[in-house]
Amino acid sequence: MAEKRITVRATRFDPAKDSEPRLQSYDIPFSDDSMVVLDALNYIKSHVDGSLSYRWSCRMGICGSCGMTVNGTPKLTCSAFLRDYWPGSITITPLNNFPIVRDLVVDMEDFMEKLKSIKPWIIRKQEMPLGAGEHRQTMEQIDDFRQFSQCINCMLCYAACPVYGLDDKFLGPAAIALARRYNLDSRDQGTKERLPVIAHSDGVWECSFVGECSVVCPKGVDPAKAIQQTKLDTSVRFILPYGNRE
Amino acid sequence: MSAETETSSRVATRTYKPAMPAGWWLRKGHYFWYMVREFTALPLALWLLWLLYEIQRAGRGPSGYYPPSSTPFVVFSVICLLFALYHSITFLRLAGVILHFKVMDKPVPSGLVVASQFGAWLVASIVIGAVLIGFGR
Repeated sequence: MAEKRITVRATRFDPAKDSEPRLQSYDIPFSDDSMVVLDALNYIKSHVDGSLSYRWSCRMGICGSCGMTVNGTPKLTCSAFLRDYWPGSITITPLNNFPIVRDLVVDMEDFMEKLKSIKPWIIRKQEMPLGAGEHRQTMEQIDDFRQFSQCINCMLCYAACPVYGLDDKFLGPAAIALARRYNLDSRDQGTKERLPVIAHSDGVWECSFVGECSVVCPKGVDPAKAIQQTKLDTSVRFILPYGNRE
Repeated sequence: MSAETETSSRVATRTYKPAMPAGWWLRKGHYFWYMVREFTALPLALWLLWLLYEIQRAGRGPSGYYPPSSTPFVVFSVICLLFALYHSITFLRLAGVILHFKVMDKPVPSGLVVASQFGAWLVASIVIGAVLIGFGR
């Protein structure tokens, strides 16, 4: 029986030589139904072309490093199975909307700055002494923010967001979802500190609710929901006199 | 490491930022239907401008006023109605995502929120229809 093979096209871009990216085609064995797109890239790097550059780490959908565009859709390549594409070919390009550093590697700097700007940590007006015990929460209080805390910062939502693609000043889906995660946390008292960033015109109000960010999220987070709910909350805070209370 | 040292030690890397293609909204069905949803506001705005013009015309008094009834106007109105229905349905369905509140410490299911929105829409339509028909007689 003939060996199963699959054609993989990957973006190549050497900033020292190329003026723009190009696609390079590789014909590789598809030996195992459990092979994922990341396995195909690893095969190419190990056996065909060691100069191919891409990010990856955990290979189990946790680290969020291996996000790329697979046949036009942002995916974690460690969770995208070759069997879902075979006998067709696969085209792997870098995540949309980000500057390409080399081959399939994008510049994450803008995302990291945005993430930092929303202060993604518990903010307290005054820290409780350790002896006072834990900040206890009920299951209902945890349920309020649980889904937004599943984000792994893979940036697929930014790659799927045409608003960010058209205007990269937009704070973006993951950063706003994470801000909401902390604003909804009963232990947190930092909503007022985050408001200038999330309620800014480049924050939630830039979003026109395309919703594709929630479709592509590999962890089931719903950033579109976080953004729309934040719009409502910030409006209520603005309109109602008691809204500015902590 | 100081900020200056950190900055100067970075190696400047040339990156390539692809431009967003004008036809980005044709890449996926989801993008396409988003654009349709946004576009539906345009014919609605045109129809409302027409309504303002009709109100201004009717303000001159009943003598000489006749409602528009040409075939092109009826076709235009039906198309606007379809757009209005699509806009309203998508808008009300999204309410289930946006509105979040609790009753007795339990979150209200989004399906119930959406159903209540459609219910309110139906009641409002019946009331407005009854008022218009009542005044028309």
